[in-house]
Amino acid sequence: MAALARLTDPLSDLFWRRPRVLLVLLLAPPLLWLVVVYIGSLAALLVQSFFSIDEFTGLIKHEFTLKTYAELFRPANFDIVIRTTVMAAAVTIAAAIISFPIAYYAARYARGRMKAFFYLAVMLPLWSSYLVKVYAWKLILAKEGILTWAVDGIGASAVLNAILALPVIGGNSLSVSYIGTFLVFLYVWLPYMILPLQASLERVPQNLLEASDDLGASRRQTLRHVILPMAMPGMIAGSIFTFSLTLGDYIIPQIVGSSRNFIGQAVYAHQGTAGNIPLAAAFAVVPIVIMGFYLWVAKRKGAFDAL
Amino acid sequence: MTDAVEFDRVSRHFGTVRAVDEVTLTIAESSFFAMLGPSGSGKTTCLRLISGFERPSSGHVRIFGAQSDDLPPNRRPVNTVFQDYALFPHLNVRDNVAYGLMVRGVDKRARHAAAEEMLALVKLEGYGDRKPAQLSGGQRQRVALARALVNKPKVLLLDEPLGALDLKLREAMQDELKALQQRLGITFVFVTHDQGEALSMADKVAVFNDGRIVQIGSPEEIYQRPRTRFVADFVGSANVLPPEFCASVGAPKTWASLRAEVIGLTAPGAGRIDGTVAGRRYLGPVNRVTVMAGGTALSVDLPASAAAPEPGASVGLTWDEGALHRMEEG
Repeated sequence: MAALARLTDPLSDLFWRRPRVLLVLLLAPPLLWLVVVYIGSLAALLVQSFFSIDEFTGLIKHEFTLKTYAELFRPANFDIVIRTTVMAAAVTIAAAIISFPIAYYAARYARGRMKAFFYLAVMLPLWSSYLVKVYAWKLILAKEGILTWAVDGIGASAVLNAILALPVIGGNSLSVSYIGTFLVFLYVWLPYMILPLQASLERVPQNLLEASDDLGASRRQTLRHVILPMAMPGMIAGSIFTFSLTLGDYIIPQIVGSSRNFIGQAVYAHQGTAGNIPLAAAFAVVPIVIMGFYLWVAKRKGAFDAL
Repeated sequence: MTDAVEFDRVSRHFGTVRAVDEVTLTIAESSFFAMLGPSGSGKTTCLRLISGFERPSSGHVRIFGAQSDDLPPNRRPVNTVFQDYALFPHLNVRDNVAYGLMVRGVDKRARHAAAEEMLALVKLEGYGDRKPAQLSGGQRQRVALARALVNKPKVLLLDEPLGALDLKLREAMQDELKALQQRLGITFVFVTHDQGEALSMADKVAVFNDGRIVQIGSPEEIYQRPRTRFVADFVGSANVLPPEFCASVGAPKTWASLRAEVIGLTAPGAGRIDGTVAGRRYLGPVNRVTVMAGGTALSVDLPASAAAPEPGASVGLTWDEGALHRMEEG
């Protein structure tokens, strides 16, 4: 014991005299991981996107060029960018609208058992395999699936057919339409919106709502001027998840949807069979740029003022 | 004069707990009214019955003669300064103060002008652009005050308004609140568990215990003539004497109070009762001597300039005939 103490005491004395040494020692491994593996690979990706591919040999030319980015703006590629961004925005907005009442109930009203049930209900879908869920949805949304059957059963097939007849977003059945892709995205990412939103709503103290009421605000005004601004950081956190996860996903649109490509599928195809790593990298940069721009706008609009 | 607030046999029950039990009281217009009592005595619930956050289980609350039982908080002519101020953290000071005007649809320039005027009233000019988190406790309290007053309420409710401030600031704010009330002429109703605060600021004090009002009166009445043992104990102004003690000094056998500063010390055998000095505390202006007499510990305040007896000394206690104040057991 004494011998061990003779070894460790000078060390702990050193840490006491220079707390920074301990901090550096503790932080070094995670920082190395973050800088080398995480930021490093991102940098490598960025560098790749400034190379181009030789159209004859199919080899990568290691010279700086913006040619690959110019290719992104070719109609075929740019359509993919627009399609993915619109889908991500639609999924995010719908997720925020659906999540708000659920999160509000959980934050303000649910207690004890109800609260446990809430967490279970929100988390449960995350426990099963993503692929299983997506295929299950494909069956649900298929022409011969349970949804069509149920809609028939209540005699509302005219409504479903009218929806499917809509241009662009409609299709032969829900499972091969943009609506289907949208529904599955919404289902799969919804917990990522509910949980941060619920956490931020929980931090709104009851007496702020009373103060607003006391000062003459109606319930709608309290919602607009107190609750929503204070829930905004949570909503932004949730939207970062739903937006960026939708921007990067390549499995859902491949299984459910109209077989038109999304960014993730384009990246997959270009780095795989096509062997066009520079273009794949350029595609991968698009979500980063969009998210950066989104956060910048959110900050300027004061979304983080309540933090 | 109209009554600003009137409680007509008001009760508020939470399950089996009677938080407020058959309270009847009137608060005169333009007065400074204090609700004093220990925590759980029902004083805060009474305040919330006026603001509308609680509704009576039975009885009626009237504000300026109008029955208010069915009016929601946002439509009552009263505003509240909340205990922990409840400032909106995402809004700057100016927008916090202007909030009540904003939800009423007053345009931006007019409401910001009114907010600046109120900030000047509470001596916070130039603080409009700050966020509440950048202010000290005392400054936040002033913002909360300005935010309530900008709506020109008929009654201003203050829930433990000075509880979170340190002693020096608290005393300064007491004077300021009192001056503000006199200048504006608005009825102030404030809740506190600090008897010093209640006595120094209010025109009228209601002492609460167990959901009922035990005594209602001017600060002098409460201090000098506590109606019950509870009031004397809670206000802490006087020695509380049990019936046996009173009988032993030739007074009627009831509970009584005797203030520390009216008792004098004399030689043993020369006073109304003899006792032994148990302790002595120097309080600045006075020496507080504790004397054990007739099985009761009495505090005796002697001017600091006078010689105080050492612990263990035998003394006689004297007081004027009328100084012993009879009380109910309660």
